[in-house]
Amino acid sequence: MASETQEGTAAEGHSSGLPQFDFQWWPGQIAWFLIIFFVMLAFIRFFAAPRVGGAMDDRDRRIAGDIAEARRMKDEADAQAQAAQADMAQARAAAQKLGAEARAKAQAGIAARLAEEEAKLAKISGEAEARIGAARDAAMANVEGIARDAARAIVEKLTGRAVSAAELQSARG
Amino acid sequence: MAGQPAIDPMHQFSVHKIWQGPTFHVGGLTLDMSITNSVASMIAGAVIIVLFFALTARREIVPNRAQALAEALYNIVDKVLVTPIIGHQGRPYIPYLFTLFCVILVLNLMGVLLAIGNVAGLSLTFTVTSQLAITATLAVLTFFSVFILGFIKHGPKFLGLFFPSGMGVIGAILMAPIEMISYFVRPVTLAMRLFGNMLGGHVVMALFGSFVVALGILGLSGGVATLAFVPSVLSFAMIVALTGLELVVAVLQAFVFVALATVYLNEVVNFGHGH
Repeated sequence: MASETQEGTAAEGHSSGLPQFDFQWWPGQIAWFLIIFFVMLAFIRFFAAPRVGGAMDDRDRRIAGDIAEARRMKDEADAQAQAAQADMAQARAAAQKLGAEARAKAQAGIAARLAEEEAKLAKISGEAEARIGAARDAAMANVEGIARDAARAIVEKLTGRAVSAAELQSARG
Repeated sequence: MAGQPAIDPMHQFSVHKIWQGPTFHVGGLTLDMSITNSVASMIAGAVIIVLFFALTARREIVPNRAQALAEALYNIVDKVLVTPIIGHQGRPYIPYLFTLFCVILVLNLMGVLLAIGNVAGLSLTFTVTSQLAITATLAVLTFFSVFILGFIKHGPKFLGLFFPSGMGVIGAILMAPIEMISYFVRPVTLAMRLFGNMLGGHVVMALFGSFVVALGILGLSGGVATLAFVPSVLSFAMIVALTGLELVVAVLQAFVFVALATVYLNEVVNFGHGH
């Protein structure tokens, strides 16, 4: 043991180059390094990487899930807003239709009443016209009698003789 | 140690035993399982990693600061590298790449943050990733894991990697060796890049550190030599600046190593429909 150590330092002293090329230390260093490296590999493979990477995966999943949930809720709200808008449009259309119907009905009523009144007026004015016509006819008939009487009177005055009804009739024709 | 020269920036990289462990003889190779300063630093790094995740890895939807830090580190591998480069098929490989990142990052940062202890030639700490043995192990392990995974997933068809499509027979024969060399040089570049980056900065820092001490001692002797305090202080300012730079290098090199591993892995996972 002691001799080995001495040998080591002696070798160190002799080699003027880099201590790294003192190959007596290579096997031990490499063997120890491989052991430690594989222990680290196992530690990181089975403990550190799953925990650190897993935490980040969980977070990514959670964020993605939250975003998807938010997007779903937004879509739902959008759909509801659209449905409400459609309902409103429908209600407005129904109201407009109702208004138009009422207006049409009112207009129809007015037209009917107007026609009725007009017909009534026409009837009244027809009757009045008929009455006027009858009065005129009657008056015209009286005018003939008056003219005949006047003619007779004139003839009688001029000729001094009575005129028969038949002569008067022939004279008029 | 007494025989060491005053300025020896390489001393910080030398390995020495702390505790004598068992020695195995495997074939012609002597495997000495002693705890050295290098091994002790690795174990300290492992403890830091375990403590860090034990304290920060919580499963809360709203993270606190510690959890956010752990998640930020994880996201460097997941959201910055694997997902953009490989895609969703790359997810099973995240634990390996994340381990690679954590280990290199912690060992690099330990080397910088605790290197303050090295400036005066004391070796209170040790940069494990400045050992070629370690960077080579990481590079070879990563490279051959990927290479073998390619054969497991695609069988002999995976050799098509060395024959670029649309070259014709002669072109393919000419290109295959070049492709092979450029492919198998990858572990070498991986290992050398990390090793070199960790080595260089630490050498320069140790040099400036020894200047601070040497010139400071010179300045203490009084007279004209008092002027030596000026470069001593300048050297100290240099160390402060270099420490900032080295922190960046430590993080960047961990990132670069894992980024390249991800790119190599991508060739295997998306073999045949990536290029």
